[in-house]
Amino acid sequence: MSGTSSTLPGERRLSLLVTVLAFSLPIIFVLVPLAIFLVYSFFSVDQGTIVHVPTLGNYIRFFTDPIFLPVFWNTIVLCVSVAAICILLAYPAAYFLTTLKGRWRYALLMLLLVPLLMSYVIKIYAIRSILGLNGFLNKALVALGILDHPSTLFVFNMNAILLTLSLLLIPFAILPIFLSLERIPQTLLRASDDLGASGLQTFLRITLPLSLPGVASAASFVFVLAIGDFLTPQMVGGVSGFTFGRILYSQFGTAYNWPFGAALSVALAIVVIAAILVGERFGRSRGTTV
Amino acid sequence: MSTLPRPSTILLAAITTLVAVLLYSPLFVPIVSSFFTVSHGDVDWSSPTLSTYRALAGNTDILAALRTTLIVGVCTVVLSVVSGTLLALYYHGRRAGRSFLQFIIFLPFLMPPIISGLALLIFFREIGLERSLLTVVIGHTVFVLAIVYRTVLMRLQSMSRTLVEASYDLGATGWQTFWRIILPNLSSAMVGGAILAFALSFDETMITILVTGTQSTLPVRLWAMMRLGFSPDINALVALILMFTVLLCVLAARFLIPRQMATERN
Repeated sequence: MSGTSSTLPGERRLSLLVTVLAFSLPIIFVLVPLAIFLVYSFFSVDQGTIVHVPTLGNYIRFFTDPIFLPVFWNTIVLCVSVAAICILLAYPAAYFLTTLKGRWRYALLMLLLVPLLMSYVIKIYAIRSILGLNGFLNKALVALGILDHPSTLFVFNMNAILLTLSLLLIPFAILPIFLSLERIPQTLLRASDDLGASGLQTFLRITLPLSLPGVASAASFVFVLAIGDFLTPQMVGGVSGFTFGRILYSQFGTAYNWPFGAALSVALAIVVIAAILVGERFGRSRGTTV
Repeated sequence: MSTLPRPSTILLAAITTLVAVLLYSPLFVPIVSSFFTVSHGDVDWSSPTLSTYRALAGNTDILAALRTTLIVGVCTVVLSVVSGTLLALYYHGRRAGRSFLQFIIFLPFLMPPIISGLALLIFFREIGLERSLLTVVIGHTVFVLAIVYRTVLMRLQSMSRTLVEASYDLGATGWQTFWRIILPNLSSAMVGGAILAFALSFDETMITILVTGTQSTLPVRLWAMMRLGFSPDINALVALILMFTVLLCVLAARFLIPRQMATERN
């Protein structure tokens, strides 16, 4: 090893450097940008230039303009629905995984998580082609006799956004639910069985309540990921599928109103923080230790 | 869970199969189209071809984007592993302000990427930094730092204190203890964190769209192409990338999972 004799001053200098870095890195690259962003939401735009005079105008516009609040609310409803669909599909799958033994359990879990590795943009594109007029979904529905002719119901509208986001985000729901199910002590289930409960009773009274924290984290994950996404609505939403993320994004592109976009982001951030806190509050498993 | 009656097991298996089909269908589309010609939603199964892969080799535009993505990924990995490890080492001891700073590190990962991206966009503008690959690398590093930090911190916390104490007892200096004891114990967590960071950087789209300059990474290039529709060689590229990332993640799992499962049991 080199430098063993000169360690003391070297170490002190290094530890000072590390201290400075440890504080400055997060503050400069995360806190400062977010703070500037917040300040921007109180600015305004006049003929394409940003006016650095504080005003509440952006927030007043958000609450009084008939466009923004309804879109905001619809987007929240949309993302809650996405979370609900993801959980309804992910819960049985996660439960099934926990009934498997040993290697199979993790192999299948991996298998269900692999789609996360596929390029997000390509997945959106592929889903759009599946949902489209010539897509597989329409073909299948016509073949099954459910539809007479291919429908445009599944693409370029709110339904399309709902379906696409659900499909993209299911893996994010499987993982937390699986982990909470796996953490349930087997002794509890055996005790319930010994005391004469049926499989359904054991599920409803033991497994389900103890897995609810996982469901809460899953819901909060999926909701946050869905509401922040502006690519999916842009790509499959068409003209009618207008979401909050799209409006926000357009403020930095075509609409060119950064301060207003910043104010919209603050509204988005508040909803996201609320969702994370709710997920955190109910996502903590209590009393699972035996 | 052997208490379940059989019909419910069959139902569960059926739903799981449905979920798997739903999850894999969007992967299936580009992979099938990379080997077969598709027109108006019908696959011509009769003539498998590798022409899309040959066309890919001649698509300089997309290969340049791939190269940019790799450069950004490598820079992001280096920056995030070095700073993530430093931060984990620093915060590992009980120090004032740790939970606050830790919260700040996690913010870009928790917040929607559009918020982190826009905050950085305005920040770069305020400090007069032109949008370029440098801003993309900073954006990615800020985004993946939380993952590397957490991976390394978890390993640090599971590391036995006696190892470090023994090293000091045997007369090693702090520097020697760091190089010979702490760093080797952290190395697999650092490699695992690096692979995760690379995978996240490789597919990061939303922050990148906001902070990128003229040179775009692959996901952003694909995003721009998507409006017009993809040429068939994109399918070949996507199939190759999927194989590559699966391989990468199997590697990451090898570095991360065995140790963690072992520590969870204790």
